[in-house]
Amino acid sequence: MATAPLSGIRIADFTWVWAGPYCTLQLAHLGADVIRIETATRPCVTRMLPPWPDGKPAGLNSSGYYNQYNQGKRSVALNFAKPGALDVARRLVAVSDVVVNNFAHGVMDRLGLGYEQLREIKSDIIMISLSGYGDTGPYRDYVAYGPAQVPLCGLSALTGYIGGPPMHAGYSYADPNGGVHGAFAILTALYHRELTGEGQYIDMSQWECAMAVLPEGIMEYTMNGREPQRIGNRDPWMAPHGIFRCRDRSVKVFGVTIDQFVAIAASDDAAWRRLAAAIGRPELGDDPKFATLAARKANEDELESIVEAWTLEQSAPAAAHILQQAGIAAFVVADNKYLSEEDEHLKVRDYFVNLPHPVVGTRQHCGIPWQMSATPLAVRAPAPLLGQHTDEVLTAVLGLSASEIATLRASGALE
Amino acid sequence: MAGALAGLKVVEIGELVSAPYAAKLMADMGAEVIKVERPGAGDAARRRGPFPAGRPDPEKSGLFLYLNANKYGVTLDIAQPEGFELLEALAAGADVLIHNIWPPDMDRVGLSFERLARRNSRLVMTSIAPFGLRGPHRNWRAEELTVWASGGVCVLNGAGPNHPELPPLKTYGHPAGFQAAAHAAVAAMGAVFARLRGGRGQHVEVSAQECLVSQNEMVFEYWPYMGVIATRLGRKPLQPMETMRCKDGWIYICCVEEHQWRNFVALMGNPEWANEEIFADRLKRGENWEALEIFLREWVAQQSVLDLYRRAQERRVPFAPVSTMGDLLNSEHIRERGFFVEIAHPLAGTYKYPGAPLKYGATPWQIRMPAPTLGQHNEEIFGQRLGLASERLEQLKARGVI
Repeated sequence: MATAPLSGIRIADFTWVWAGPYCTLQLAHLGADVIRIETATRPCVTRMLPPWPDGKPAGLNSSGYYNQYNQGKRSVALNFAKPGALDVARRLVAVSDVVVNNFAHGVMDRLGLGYEQLREIKSDIIMISLSGYGDTGPYRDYVAYGPAQVPLCGLSALTGYIGGPPMHAGYSYADPNGGVHGAFAILTALYHRELTGEGQYIDMSQWECAMAVLPEGIMEYTMNGREPQRIGNRDPWMAPHGIFRCRDRSVKVFGVTIDQFVAIAASDDAAWRRLAAAIGRPELGDDPKFATLAARKANEDELESIVEAWTLEQSAPAAAHILQQAGIAAFVVADNKYLSEEDEHLKVRDYFVNLPHPVVGTRQHCGIPWQMSATPLAVRAPAPLLGQHTDEVLTAVLGLSASEIATLRASGALE
Repeated sequence: MAGALAGLKVVEIGELVSAPYAAKLMADMGAEVIKVERPGAGDAARRRGPFPAGRPDPEKSGLFLYLNANKYGVTLDIAQPEGFELLEALAAGADVLIHNIWPPDMDRVGLSFERLARRNSRLVMTSIAPFGLRGPHRNWRAEELTVWASGGVCVLNGAGPNHPELPPLKTYGHPAGFQAAAHAAVAAMGAVFARLRGGRGQHVEVSAQECLVSQNEMVFEYWPYMGVIATRLGRKPLQPMETMRCKDGWIYICCVEEHQWRNFVALMGNPEWANEEIFADRLKRGENWEALEIFLREWVAQQSVLDLYRRAQERRVPFAPVSTMGDLLNSEHIRERGFFVEIAHPLAGTYKYPGAPLKYGATPWQIRMPAPTLGQHNEEIFGQRLGLASERLEQLKARGVI
């Protein structure tokens, strides 16, 4: 069998929280040897966040958050306050292809791990810094948190119910967006290095990556000087286009019935006629009030109540199924339980990963969102325990002897 | 200086966002991209806005112009045998073919990796589909909204526990398309890199749904770890993390760590209420959010956005403005970094566009040409590149092949 695409590529991973680990997860999925340099004195934030196995925190190796985004990586634990730790990190860089970090501006330089310093150790090193604001500009030292990047980048101002305030994306969208753009940049830099022998430094700002995926709103402003209005789940080019309430599902969590919704988008007039027929109102397909997009947009409140009168009688999966049979774009507004247990499609595709982990046992994790015909890929290992691979990496990768390792451990450099 | 992907040859058959943005990422790094559109209609993005003065025009869509700068544009009806042959000829000279043709349409025109690989075993064909190329939902219809809903992220957004009557809320724009695109670009580049090291071409399959499920932050794991369903109705355990109205706009109030809260309280001039026991730590502030919210909203309403943002950041408190589009274009930080770029297009005119998402030290991101008009490079690509005589081009045009 062919080897994985990045087999033989080593990544010195100084990242933490989400954007950086999401970046290096892509590289691990492609077969790179990703070595996370961590510390117990200031562990990765996600090691200390829920979800925990069965709701009970069980130390730094039990978080579902960390365990999701660090699959297939190795972990070396160093204490940079102790003599020898920095030297280990620098020796690791010397045998790596790529250095990734998402610390605040200047932290790597202060540690002695800045690009110019690392270039002296490895002349063709590729280094990328994933930061909130980037390496230059008057706000480069500003503090960036994942949730605050969504409003900062412009997404909140554009997202919201009609007439309502700016809203969030529901998660720290700019983090994985920045991470995956960073992974792309690393791959292009590896391509360039392979052909020319030249490494380089890449400055990535999460803010800018998020604006790069927001052209609709930005171009409305640059073309017309207008701020787009918040339009909820509607769309200028399709109607109905919304999220409709279905019959409640019978699951109760903490005494609350979980409501259930279906997303429906009628792509064009023909789709509306099919939709009208599918919900038992075929006469509305050609009704002048709804026959054209302009008419449906003009009568959108009424249109949506007609659709919802039907969806309220269905379970969300049944509604999606009936509408798909009629050739209409529709899908359950999927939650984690639906994806985990009820989505027959994901099951058939073997998307999820179930690898035994020494602390949390076998838990279902999200897998690789692409597949390749010649180099089949699979998540190789569960996320590492903190420092799980310290000895293994120092011995096999850095060639240190047992006594050298013992000295480092005695000095506190290894945790 | 040339871009990192100078010399890489890409053929894109893309509609709307996913395949076009994946190919744009490559084009902006120096790859040569030939974009294939349907004769007549072209890419559906041409019919989406924004448009200058709001007037639809297939050569003036802001979304299309943004996504397709730096690409050559040809028209080709690959459902006709002669059209498919020309696609095969284009793919024969390419390193990468990237497309988001809906799987039933792939079947209809007979597009498959095996078929294209007959003439180019080194081709990396990347197929982006809403639900991938196999499985019971393979042929399901999809629009941006329904793919977003399928990914487990849409359900998390909404008005929160105090407004359960409001439905989950779509995030603006085409986030599903863009996320599928960026992941597809990663996968395609992985396959290209493998080929540099002696590998052969191959077929890369990307499921947009799976790309979104992969980025469910920690919430997917709440089910397998704890048996908890995550929805928009969950209470935030830590506070304050909320959007609030100022005198002149909106700001995002964000205190995750205790020192950030203490610094914020100092910034507010140490009001008496902030010392109440019910606000003593971040968990208590979460539990008693309804009370805290009243005090905070009242204070924040008297501030101005950029002033509060600056004063908070001076104290290492990670607030952020709710940026309007105008704020983005006028930001001194973004301006100094030179993010927005001007692109002149022969029909649409000159506008500012989002620019480089990444700044490379050695291989710059570059705009070399504006987005193509429909079929702009038919003569150059089919005539000069593939060697078709002009009479043949006329015939193909007459038959609607190009």
